[in-house]
Amino acid sequence: MLQEIVISGFGGQGVLSMGKILAYSGIMEDKEVSWFPAYGPEQRGGTANVTVIVSDKPISSPVVNKYDVAIVLNQPSLDKFEPKLKPGGILIYDSYGINKKPERKDINVYCINAMEESTKMQNTKVFNMIILGGLLKISPIVQIENVMEGLKKSLPERHHKLLPMNEKAILLGMEKIELEQRAV
Amino acid sequence: MSEELKQRSAEAKIGDSQITLMKGNEAIAHAAIRYGVDGYFGYPITPQSEIIETLMDEAPWETTGMVVLQAESEVAAINMVYGGAGCGKYAMTTSSSPGMSLKQEGISYLAGAELPCLLVNVQRGGPGLGTIQPGQADYFQTVKGGGHGDYKLITLAPNSVQEMADLVGLGFELAFKYNNPACILTDGIIGQMMEKVRLPEFKARRTEAEIRKQCPWATLGKSADREPNIVTSLEMDPALMEMRNIKFQSKYKTIEENEVRYEAINCEDADYILVAFGSSARICLKTVELAREEGIKVGLIRPITLWPFPSKAICEYAQKVKGILVVEMNAGQMIEDVRLAVNGTIPVEHYGRMGGIVPTPEGVLDGFKDKIIK
Repeated sequence: MLQEIVISGFGGQGVLSMGKILAYSGIMEDKEVSWFPAYGPEQRGGTANVTVIVSDKPISSPVVNKYDVAIVLNQPSLDKFEPKLKPGGILIYDSYGINKKPERKDINVYCINAMEESTKMQNTKVFNMIILGGLLKISPIVQIENVMEGLKKSLPERHHKLLPMNEKAILLGMEKIELEQRAV
Repeated sequence: MSEELKQRSAEAKIGDSQITLMKGNEAIAHAAIRYGVDGYFGYPITPQSEIIETLMDEAPWETTGMVVLQAESEVAAINMVYGGAGCGKYAMTTSSSPGMSLKQEGISYLAGAELPCLLVNVQRGGPGLGTIQPGQADYFQTVKGGGHGDYKLITLAPNSVQEMADLVGLGFELAFKYNNPACILTDGIIGQMMEKVRLPEFKARRTEAEIRKQCPWATLGKSADREPNIVTSLEMDPALMEMRNIKFQSKYKTIEENEVRYEAINCEDADYILVAFGSSARICLKTVELAREEGIKVGLIRPITLWPFPSKAICEYAQKVKGILVVEMNAGQMIEDVRLAVNGTIPVEHYGRMGGIVPTPEGVLDGFKDKIIK
């Protein structure tokens, strides 16, 4: 098993921390992981992306150019990473703020309205956990129990009271993700 | 920074053998504390600021007694290292490319005074202030001597977060074995990326008696039964200065004979070889996989010590292959050492990206086909 994943969106959306939780979860399953951020001078409001690789075998390059999964959370990210998906790869996007939909026919496209759902939950901070739930539904890279373990490890103890809310968000994401197009 | 960081290091303390997830920069800081380092002197600069941030957060002055100091400048920091090293202490400094340029005078003095210490350069794209993105264009500066005079730095090139941690200990070990500064030459990729790491065991800091025994030359206060120790790089008599230089050169020769470290991957049946260090070597590892999927037998030689350079190994492999591609995030620096090792027997070409652009495994493969297979 080798999954090369890119998560991309606006700085502040929780892109980097979602990647970190995924990487932590991988460790809980005794898998090899790497987490490489595109670190730039801009943070909040600018674009941020992170490459997360989860594998059964030692990871060669932490930097890749073709992805199995692209999670894109704004239009510039969609434009940038749609062409970099492997044929048959998975594209997950949040329709919020997307005016030009994915065009490739050789990829699996999923839509998740996480922004809308997190607003309904009255907690936009769980936005990234809804997305993560969606990802785990269609590509069970890691088990949800291990995600919860990973969350526990990556969150400071004073935030552990937020764990149930995060779990709820993950489960909601699993429920809400929708297949838009199957690869041809 | 961070609660989260505290949590992570707390985790690391629970069980020494526990695997944790951290950045390369954080691994350097934790490894330094665990090795029993006496003093860290630095000045923040991207992409390596997490080293001093982690150290400040860990507050080792409260536990091991290690000094962590943010100096007023890079120049001050390297001279504090000189002072600490002169007393036989485990002293270190870290920076990124422009900051390392500022330290070069001090590094030449450390080499001239034969002082052991550890330097870390988490390189970014240059020249000048350049970019904050990763680069490898300080190879010449580190390996050929960025400061003045005939000196050498023991240069170690980690390719993973685990090696960032491991090479801290090795760096100090070699520095004190040969009384010579050692440098970890890494870059923004390895510094910023997170991977699994198993941190080294805690070692107690050495006592003053242990330091006196290990470093009889240290300026720790003169006792009645010996002449004063003098730590200096100055020698007014050119004949004596030449003698010193001859001694340095003989030491460098011993290091070249004994301390070469490298890794050869898939080289046994290879028709072609890639040579790359640090993060470029990780990218090339993937290129090797891609090439082999296409039936092209490619291997990878990864120097772990950039000085002393694995010239002999590269020369030997060159007898068995048709061509070598050197891959670096610069315009072509290590390629000069590879060409010297190969000595014209087979073609040696270069593939590089510059200024903070990171090559992709596919890009390297295209470059390889274009320049080597043709």
